[in-house]
Amino acid sequence: MIIPDSYPWELGETLGEHLERRGISRREFLGFCSRLGVMLGLGSLMGPSIMEALAQQRRPSAIWLSLQECTGCTESVLRTADPTIGDLVLDLISLDFQENLMAAAGHAAEAALHDAMEANRGSYILLVTGGVSLAEGGIHTMIAGRPAVEILREAAEGAAHVVAIGACAHWGNIQASNPNPTEAVGVGHIVTGKPVVNIAGCPPIGDVVTATVAHILTFGRVPELDADGRPLFAYGVRIHDNCPKRANYDAGQFVEAFDDEAARKGWCLYKVGCKGPVTFSPCPIIQWNDRTDWPIGAGHPCIGCTERHFWDTMTPFYGRLPGIAGFGIESTADVVGAALAVGAAAGVAAHAVVTGVQRARHKPDEIEKEEV
Amino acid sequence: MTPVSGQRAGAPPVRMGPRPGTSSPGNYRWVYLWHWPIRAMHWAAAASILVLVVTGFYIGRPYFMVSGGTTGTPYLMGWMRFLHFLAAGVLVATGIVRVYWLFAGNRFERWRALFPVRRKDWVNLAKTARAYLFIRPREKPEYLGHNPLQQISYTVIYAVTLIMVITGFAMYGQSNPGGLFHTWFGWVTGVFGGVQSTRLIHHLLTWVFIIFVPVHVYLALRVDLLERTGTISSIISGGRFRPANVKYEDDRPEE
Ligand code: HEM
Ligand code: SF4
Ligand code: SF4
Repeated sequence: MIIPDSYPWELGETLGEHLERRGISRREFLGFCSRLGVMLGLGSLMGPSIMEALAQQRRPSAIWLSLQECTGCTESVLRTADPTIGDLVLDLISLDFQENLMAAAGHAAEAALHDAMEANRGSYILLVTGGVSLAEGGIHTMIAGRPAVEILREAAEGAAHVVAIGACAHWGNIQASNPNPTEAVGVGHIVTGKPVVNIAGCPPIGDVVTATVAHILTFGRVPELDADGRPLFAYGVRIHDNCPKRANYDAGQFVEAFDDEAARKGWCLYKVGCKGPVTFSPCPIIQWNDRTDWPIGAGHPCIGCTERHFWDTMTPFYGRLPGIAGFGIESTADVVGAALAVGAAAGVAAHAVVTGVQRARHKPDEIEKEEV
Repeated sequence: MTPVSGQRAGAPPVRMGPRPGTSSPGNYRWVYLWHWPIRAMHWAAAASILVLVVTGFYIGRPYFMVSGGTTGTPYLMGWMRFLHFLAAGVLVATGIVRVYWLFAGNRFERWRALFPVRRKDWVNLAKTARAYLFIRPREKPEYLGHNPLQQISYTVIYAVTLIMVITGFAMYGQSNPGGLFHTWFGWVTGVFGGVQSTRLIHHLLTWVFIIFVPVHVYLALRVDLLERTGTISSIISGGRFRPANVKYEDDRPEE
């Protein structure tokens, strides 16, 4: 789909003209723009305005860097729910550099990156998957003989907008989890001075990426972000507050084990460690794989993949609360608490016994005290 | 300033202690210690903490479950959370009363009474702690209000309650991002290292109350039984008795 030049653009052509030439009807385009408006939380009535804005776009350049990552996010973006949306948006931009998709390799690829950066300095959109490593001068992630962090700095400098796609680009992901041997960090750690949009998730939902890019193209600025740089239109609500199993949660109907009767009935996954109550993501709404399903819908608890440091903070994935370091892996909060409570109760009982014995023995004690 | 202790001289003792030398009626006086806002606050806090612990543990680990199908299912977790938040509101109200009374109350109720501030208090703290460990109990300093050990433990309980309130509201705010509680208490999760650790702290500190309450009740019963000065009654009626021949560390300076 986004093999560059599958539908060659003519020089100076606007998107409107381009679509017309491609035989995409106004109606189709309006439908797409209306759905985009809904996704962005602006309402379907915004469709015509979005369409107008997009139609006038001349193809902006985009550069996609793949750094310390596994390519899963690219896979996810390629599988956007509505193929035409993904197509359109990714076709809308001139994806001048994408290592995994472009035909060029080696020196030719490096040259393409260089040329794209030079030709569109100050105006291109920088999409990044993967973080960078800082330890030992960044040598743990080398691309074309250069540390990834250097490539990122250079590419970000000339970018108009920076979009960090996926948990690796967001905060470093599993590479950055305890003990973080490569000192992995996210894009926002390196790029300062311009807003970095964090499309959180491991991987993120492709449609969120395309909607964000469409927003940038339509309005010329990044969408409204939350405190962690995530677009509010997607990450503004908790999974728990949009979950179809919420009724079971409220009723007190819980799965206790993955193959029990409750699991077959599709009850709430809270007791088997669901992190929906602490996770902000549009999974229940946008869903995955052409909107066929999503993790909780398939009976698996949410692991909180859109939250920073989720490998450290959301584990154990099948337990509700984090374990307590220093008390052994098996210790849960309640084991420690109960032990202390039993200790305190025993202490109280022992104290009461000693008090009784002393009182029986030392009646004079009190008399003396009275005579002071 | 409010007059300090408000003692009512000559109130008839209801029941004599077994102690020789204190058995004539005039030797006991009734001391008014706790104004009604403090007493009301105490019992409202006690009730709300009871509700918070019970419902909180249900929220944390739904320990009983409803069977049944899709119709007529109770709103069990819903009610538990509702009660938790209702009790949380009551607890916050008691906190506001307490903070106000830290400045408006008598000297037993004021903020100073929550901290062993003077050097003498620290010496007495050691002596009191020793006495409770059955070491030289005769040296135990007597207090009309809170002894230094009580001062410290109540201060700790207030501090823990404050942490419960801020971690609680931080979690509460999550259901409405950008809303009032989310805006006011958003910093909390940052301080505690994420929502999950905030939740863990809220959960763990619950045990502080579970441990505190029996110890608190035991010590209150013990002092009531041993000293027979109506200590337990003081949190109901507001006052206790003082035998004339006991010297109190927190007595009025002129007495
Ligand atoms: C003495 C005071 C309190 C006690 C003992 C207490 C106890 C608990 C416990 C044990 C939990 C379960 C934690 C878990 O395992 O997830 C909990 C959850 C919670 N508490 Fe408290 N709590 C107290 C005060 C408060 C206050 C003042 C608030 C303020 C609103 C509050 C709000 C919450 C919330 C929002 C939750 C999570 C509920 C949910 O996940 O839906 N708590 N509490
Ligand atoms: S399955 Fe998870 S997100 Fe859904 S209601 Fe239960 S706890 Fe909340
Ligand atoms: S349900 Fe939770 S863990 Fe799964 S993809 Fe969505 S946010 Fe990530």
